[in-house]
Amino acid sequence: MAESIKLAYFMAVKEGASYLGGLLVTDTSGIPLDFRYTEPITPTHLQSILYGKSLEPHLKEEVIQKTLLKELKTPPDLFILSATELAGGWSGDAKCPVLAVQKSQETPLVKVGTTFRAGPRDILLQLAEGAAPLRVMFAASVDAAAQEQAMAKLLEAGYHMDLTEPLERVTVALQSLVVKGS
Amino acid sequence: MFGRVRGAMADAAETLRRAFAGLTVVTVVPEPFHVGSRRGDLLAVNPKPGLDLLAVMGRGARLFHEGVPCQVLPPFEAKLQAEAGWAHWGTEAEVVRMTPLEAGRAARITVPPLPRQARTLGRVEPPTCPGTRRIADPLVPSGTRRLDPRLPEVSALAGLEAILGLPIPIRAEDIQRLPKGLWMRYSLQLVRGTGENVRNLEVLGLFCIPRKGVSDLRHDPRQSRILIRLEASAVRAPREPFILARRKDDGALLSCFVEGS
Repeated sequence: MAESIKLAYFMAVKEGASYLGGLLVTDTSGIPLDFRYTEPITPTHLQSILYGKSLEPHLKEEVIQKTLLKELKTPPDLFILSATELAGGWSGDAKCPVLAVQKSQETPLVKVGTTFRAGPRDILLQLAEGAAPLRVMFAASVDAAAQEQAMAKLLEAGYHMDLTEPLERVTVALQSLVVKGS
Repeated sequence: MFGRVRGAMADAAETLRRAFAGLTVVTVVPEPFHVGSRRGDLLAVNPKPGLDLLAVMGRGARLFHEGVPCQVLPPFEAKLQAEAGWAHWGTEAEVVRMTPLEAGRAARITVPPLPRQARTLGRVEPPTCPGTRRIADPLVPSGTRRLDPRLPEVSALAGLEAILGLPIPIRAEDIQRLPKGLWMRYSLQLVRGTGENVRNLEVLGLFCIPRKGVSDLRHDPRQSRILIRLEASAVRAPREPFILARRKDDGALLSCFVEGS
């Protein structure tokens, strides 16, 4: 059992007019090793006007994500975020491969551990026998070699845990923190 | 047929009417009948102006007493009178000549043509160009204000305890992938740890969980996993293989940590 691999799950949510984010670091069993979250940021009306559509990406990538990554003592092996955030054009500067994982409806691949490259940054990974493969999407900054290394780590972690579940946990934790704060 | 007769009679009547409409009527003054008579003073009233009281004086007696002799009226004599008007009738009559009716004389009626284009009513006249006015007073220059649009820096907070309280799913290891000797050793440790007969035990799964700090554990048979809640001490605790089993006779759950390989 590989205990050395650390997975960082990042999620930023908008609650009302405020933004806040959380970063959960787990081991390959999904057990939390660290969890950091930001205080809710409420942009003023003038800031919303001046930033326009770039407000949300700027808040998530430049403010929240950088703040949370700065707090980590050791960099994670994989930086995982939601598929929506990645599809929106992630331009963060994480030191590790940035990717998104998503359950798919594709037919199972031949055996566990098999991968199928559906696109330059889109790979299907078979983690369990008879189950639908996991869709892995990499950020544009991750080259092919880094993708292969990341796939090996994902395969090892996916043997022990559900790779998509921790993001839901971060979302629930952030919502509970907002409710507790208000 | 009757219409033509009626029209002819109407024409004849109109002809006669016009023929006699312009006749000059000569008035023949008849000679008056002269009656020879004499007038005698019979009654007379002598008016007296002034304020004299009206008084009627009967003079009857006086008439009879002071009557004058009058002649007896001569007897009427018949006298033939001639009417001369009729003699002039033929010479004074005017003959009116009627203008015969002429066929084909009719007034021509000209039908005015329809307008080729409907006239537009209610047309709005374009507004006139407003006149420009010059304001002599210059605008007062306003002061410049600076507003920093930068978003405030945020601080990260540690929230490990908050997320440890959430249920953490732990997937069961695939026992078939374990070495057979290792699984035999795990089974032996399970029997020793629970004190049950191995035939009375049904293994639900082998999980890798922290040795310490597990505050709650629930089994999810549908997905072959357990849900655990952890305490802060579980973060640094070593992960150990953990077997969850069910006793066949009463369905009770049994569990024990086994030594790792």
